[in-house]
Amino acid sequence: MNKVLLLTKIMLKNAGSSLGSKKGSGWKTLLILLAIGVGLIPLMAALVVFVAGLYDGLAQIGQEGALLGLGIAGTSLAIFLLGIVYVLSVFYFSQDVEHFLPMPIAPGEILGAKFLVALLYEYLTALTMIAPIFITYGVKSGGGFLYYLFALLVFVALPVIPLTLAILLVMVFMRYTNIGKYKDRFRLLGGLIAIAGGLGFQAFVQRQTSGTDSSVEQLQQMIAAGEQGLLGIVTKLFPASKLGALAILESSTWSGFANLLGFFAIAVAGLLLFLWVGNRLYFSGVMGISESRAKRKKIDEAAFQKGIRPRSMWLAYADKEWKVLWRTPAFFMNCALSSIFFPLFGLVPLLSRQDSAELLASLSGWLQGGHMGGISLVVAFSAFVVMASTNSTSITAITREGQGIFLSKTLPIPAGQLLVAKLIPGTLLSVISMALLVAEAAWFIQLPSLFIILAVVVGIPGILFVNLLGLILDLQMPKLEWGSEQEAVKQNLNPLFSMLMGMVTAALCIVLAFSLEASLLQMGVGLFVLFVLADLFLFRLLLRKGPSWLEKMEG
Amino acid sequence: MIQLRGVTKSYNGTIKAVDQLNLDVPKGEIFGFLGPNGAGKTTTIKMVTGIIRPDAGEITINGKNIATDTLEAKRQFGYVPDSPDLFLRLKGLEYLRFMADIYEVPQQLRKERIQQLAKRFDMSDALGDTIQSYSHGMRQKIMIMGVLVHHPEVWILDEPLTGLDPKSSFTLKEMMREHADSGRTVFFSTHVLEVAEKLCDRVAIINKGKILFCGTFPEMQQHFQSNHSLESLFLELTKHE
Ligand SMILES: Nc1ncnc2c1ncn2[C@@H]1O[C@H](COP(=O)(O)OP(=O)(O)O)[C@@H](O)[C@H]1O
Ligand SMILES: [Mg+2]
Repeated sequence: MNKVLLLTKIMLKNAGSSLGSKKGSGWKTLLILLAIGVGLIPLMAALVVFVAGLYDGLAQIGQEGALLGLGIAGTSLAIFLLGIVYVLSVFYFSQDVEHFLPMPIAPGEILGAKFLVALLYEYLTALTMIAPIFITYGVKSGGGFLYYLFALLVFVALPVIPLTLAILLVMVFMRYTNIGKYKDRFRLLGGLIAIAGGLGFQAFVQRQTSGTDSSVEQLQQMIAAGEQGLLGIVTKLFPASKLGALAILESSTWSGFANLLGFFAIAVAGLLLFLWVGNRLYFSGVMGISESRAKRKKIDEAAFQKGIRPRSMWLAYADKEWKVLWRTPAFFMNCALSSIFFPLFGLVPLLSRQDSAELLASLSGWLQGGHMGGISLVVAFSAFVVMASTNSTSITAITREGQGIFLSKTLPIPAGQLLVAKLIPGTLLSVISMALLVAEAAWFIQLPSLFIILAVVVGIPGILFVNLLGLILDLQMPKLEWGSEQEAVKQNLNPLFSMLMGMVTAALCIVLAFSLEASLLQMGVGLFVLFVLADLFLFRLLLRKGPSWLEKMEG
Repeated sequence: MIQLRGVTKSYNGTIKAVDQLNLDVPKGEIFGFLGPNGAGKTTTIKMVTGIIRPDAGEITINGKNIATDTLEAKRQFGYVPDSPDLFLRLKGLEYLRFMADIYEVPQQLRKERIQQLAKRFDMSDALGDTIQSYSHGMRQKIMIMGVLVHHPEVWILDEPLTGLDPKSSFTLKEMMREHADSGRTVFFSTHVLEVAEKLCDRVAIINKGKILFCGTFPEMQQHFQSNHSLESLFLELTKHE
């Protein structure tokens, strides 16, 4: 057990190195955590308000207890879906297993440590969801000490089952795809299918509840109706939630205690199942994850000629960046994929709501009518900016190169060309997302063509702005010492800053738009001029100061 | 030709990794940079290639100052780093094309050079695969090919002979000899003395950031008035402190 804890500590230390790599950066870590906390407050506050409203309604029909079941089941679902991502990264893409295997550590201990790391992430996730529910419920129902104790114990056991399910799913998948020549691509496809499945499930759940608008009253009716609808589906998926809910509800009685024991017993059973299956499937699935396909065949003359055609320096460099981005699974998942999936996320509610057609029709009328044009343009612009800021390609442009950046420093490519080449992939990906989003919107809503043209014309400088800002930020604080590619993009807080800046920019633009009441055309010209100027400024900064920032990176 | 004048570098302001180094690496010779682990060889090479800046001193490559005339200086040399685990996601040929593009090698010339290098290093069948699928030695070979595809005036290698099989090691040494004999410069670091003794026209011995000796091997024997091997002289030199 000691070894398991030691391993866990090592894995977490590796993971957290971006938080405390440099000495004396304790305050920085604190500031970042604070920023994350502040960012979550509005979400949690909204949850508290929602839960409180639901409680009042349900209490009238004596069904308020269903709230706990719903909360536990919903949290379980979120943990399961996020668990798939955590498990992929902790168990499979972190690439540390090959270091641990030769050491005198039992395979079970490695598994245990990895489980604890994933579990810790899950606790943080679960806390933000379940704590507001438990506490609101406790305050409303006047729960005593035992209520909070039982709630805490349920919280402790809660993530184990959904996490185990996620692990089993991923392990089976990885074990039986660790074969054949096209492994890399096959797995990426699998990842895509898993994510698409998650989206599809979300759409399905929304359709089940559609028409209800998931308003408080409707949800109450649904819960009152019993095992049907949303609650039925979710509690059927995670039947143990009922035990957990009953444990807390009857916290002052023996039957509550029995339920709690049952809840724990299921968690322990899940844990044992995980260890049993893990020992059989994990190592054969993770071994050779860094292997790649090799043909060892001579390239034929025509392909050879084509494969060495000269290009200009910056194009060669940009092409290298682009290829590495798409061929490295960790980069692909974190940078390229999000730019395709973000626009698709928007589709889910549109497709799943039965009344969406009317909604869209009214929206399109709204767009065409007079003074709202300017505001809608800003909203579209903000969507592009936020989307570009959630794409971590440019914000990790230097970081992703790792130690390779030092070899690049010995090449006779002008630093300006190198920096422009680094800007290209991220900008291109954001432009692709914008195109998808615009195409989608044009398909569903009757958009005036002037609106579409203006949105694209102002969108491009907006996207460039975010990417320039990201690259400049990464030049200031790149994280070049990473062990695995996963570490470079996942265990790195810079993308968070980029996202924050994107949101602030978008929020400022929206506030400005509401106070100005400009027409569509005025707003288009205004945004365009503003952001082209900002881009020019940042571009000049990049070209003037960028080379010396690069120069200062030493390794 | 490489010149270092009064070059000093310390990490974190404490230990001097390289201390007041003066060095002249002439044209037409293979120059061996010898020293025990941690002597400052890699640090010196990184300063010459522009990866890190010296705290003090001047470095010129073929008369071009790396600090002030950076791009021109960088065009003069090709550098093979000590760790070849770079550009792993590119295919061998893609990497060579990348290097040829950066050094602006014309189409016909790059074709001839790639084909010839691939043949000599026995890499023709591997060029279509990603570098990730290569063994350590093959990764070294592709890095070396990436340098030779632009035919640099000055060839700088950090510990090039560790990890190569006998045949590739022989080929590399042969190429270094050809490079020097065509009037250009070869500068490489190593701690393997048998190689240095046979291969180098001139050596410098560095320990704790200071040059202890610089000259030809016969000069060294004369200097110490002994006919011992390079190994025993080296051990003698680096023993103290
Ligand atoms: N990035 C670094 N940070 C701190 N110290 C370093 C760094 N790189 C090298 N050193 C130190 O500088 C000295 C010289 O190292 P190096 O030039 O790598 O030696 P060599 O290549 O001759 O084995 C050693 O004492 C080493 O510990
Ligand atoms: Mg070294």
